Amino acid sequence: MTDLAQLSNVLGAWYDFRDLNNLQRLITEWIAEWGPDWLASIVTGVLGALGILAVIGPTLLILIWVERKVISRFQQRYGPNRVGPKGLLQPVADAVKLILKEQLAPRAADKLIFFLPPVLIFVPGILIWGVLPFGPRMSVADLNVGVLFLLAVSGTAVLVIFMAGWSSNNKYALFGAMRAVAMSISYEVPMVLALLTLVVFSGTMSVNGIVEWQQQEDVIFILLFPLSAIAFFFAASAELNRTPADISEAESEIVAGYHTEYSGMRFGLFYAVELGNTLVVSGFIATFFLGGWWLWGLDQWVPSWIILLVKTGAVYFLLIWTRGTLPRLRIDQLMSFCWKALVPATLLFVVVAFVERTLLISEGWDTTVALPIMAVFNIALTLGAIMLFARVARPAPLRRPARIRMAGTEIGGLRAARQVASRTEEPQFQVGGD
Amino acid sequence: MSDFGFHLAFWSLAAMTLGGASMIIISRNLIHAVIWLVMSMLGIAGLYLTLSADFIAVVQVLIYVGAISVLMLFAIMLTPRAERDNSQNIKTGGPAALVVLLVMISTLWVAIDTDWGAVREAALTDQARLIGESLIKHYILPFEIGAVLLTAALVGAIALARQDDEDAAVHAASLQAELDGEGSVDPVNVVDPPIASEASDTEAAS
Repeated sequence: MTDLAQLSNVLGAWYDFRDLNNLQRLITEWIAEWGPDWLASIVTGVLGALGILAVIGPTLLILIWVERKVISRFQQRYGPNRVGPKGLLQPVADAVKLILKEQLAPRAADKLIFFLPPVLIFVPGILIWGVLPFGPRMSVADLNVGVLFLLAVSGTAVLVIFMAGWSSNNKYALFGAMRAVAMSISYEVPMVLALLTLVVFSGTMSVNGIVEWQQQEDVIFILLFPLSAIAFFFAASAELNRTPADISEAESEIVAGYHTEYSGMRFGLFYAVELGNTLVVSGFIATFFLGGWWLWGLDQWVPSWIILLVKTGAVYFLLIWTRGTLPRLRIDQLMSFCWKALVPATLLFVVVAFVERTLLISEGWDTTVALPIMAVFNIALTLGAIMLFARVARPAPLRRPARIRMAGTEIGGLRAARQVASRTEEPQFQVGGD
Repeated sequence: MSDFGFHLAFWSLAAMTLGGASMIIISRNLIHAVIWLVMSMLGIAGLYLTLSADFIAVVQVLIYVGAISVLMLFAIMLTPRAERDNSQNIKTGGPAALVVLLVMISTLWVAIDTDWGAVREAALTDQARLIGESLIKHYILPFEIGAVLLTAALVGAIALARQDDEDAAVHAASLQAELDGEGSVDPVNVVDPPIASEASDTEAAS
């Protein structure tokens, strides 16, 4: 518990905007005076969800404009500048247009599964905000398995994407879904390993606990484990389908991927959730690797949630930057980068974290001396690993592919798939219902 | 926890679990069956939450919903005749039902036989740590056996999915022949494999 939190306990009035938890706490205490326990729990949950929605709803509208403007700057054009001052009302106009558009559904689509995904995709998109701490006591649910919760919830989104792609009964949608699933399964591994370094080193699985560890030891994790931060950043941008890794909706290859057949506001919902996920992942990168709501004592003077939002904005800008400048990778490049570069590197850092944690705890090294040494060592190791990858282990560009890349071999050499591919009289995939 | 909220949560989650489980059997489409399975798994995760076992609940969602069901969907899609009628599985139903019955009886027996009174009084705050410690200290042998089993499964999966160089060469040659319109190639007469060096660059990755 920090000084700020103790102060808030004294001055915890509802108008104390430094800690927005006060208002909710007062309401639940008031309900607990006359109502049953379960009513207080339900009201707490609903208030938390409404708070999250109240933050991300308007933020998304602004972010669409920000993202389009920033990307157009990177690409040396103006971006939206017609609707409203500086094009600020463009997202509103887009939303109105999307709502007014006709909702089409393919006749051969699997009707129930086709209608569910635009709604279901919201569930992980909202739930994932629950464990993001905006302040010492400002997370909707400070679970002590918060890191696992984050991974579990983000893993379910892929199922929804799969449902969308499969039920559309469209080969591009199906390919997009298959790519999304394959990529998400692959990139979850370095993501988990990158978070495992932090969990091992800080000894807690609570998201807020990781921030408090950084505050206590006066260090941010990007200095201690830079490679984990880089791996997490890239894996997150792959899971988010953002441009350096957006092969599951690559418009030059497979129209729009899994949401090819979704029109109007259904597409809009996918788009909104994608932007919201980008925002929350920026928030988690800021929380895990940049210290979250803590900033070397500045959190005593500035409300903690403002610090977190500023850091989130910085990470979000980095994500837009990579999106605006980097070209899209091919699927085999993405896969081999994940399994041959990111997974071994993050595994190495898990081992490093184990050793350093043991030195700190069992050998009783002094943290004020040991942590800077470890930081320097880990940064050197990261630079070495990156140099090794760039100089030696980098896959050579394939100028003349000697091998025919067709579905049968591309899928991974599964015998069943190969048999299907080599049978010429039948289509390769029998998609959709009867 | 007051009674009403707990009962509401328990009965709705139980209905979700059992409804999903029965829909797995009823639905004729395999993909639908997997999606019902996901619903059933989510209900079980919710039931774990009502028992204040949040670590197990989150792991349930992470593994069964996020990984295993996705792998099932992937496997169904990569299999020919993925849309086949679910009712064909009735042929293998007998032995499977027997196995399930045995597992259920043994689980129930353990559940009834165990004295749960001690658990009710113990503090269940830091379960991840408790589970980890008991895995490393008391149940080290099953833990190690599980690790060996998983490693064997990993090696086996790679061995199954790996394409031999020769095999790949024959396959590529036949595909090339089909593209050229010459019909299929006799696998015996392939003398010079068109590829040898980078046969398994993407297979190992996926």
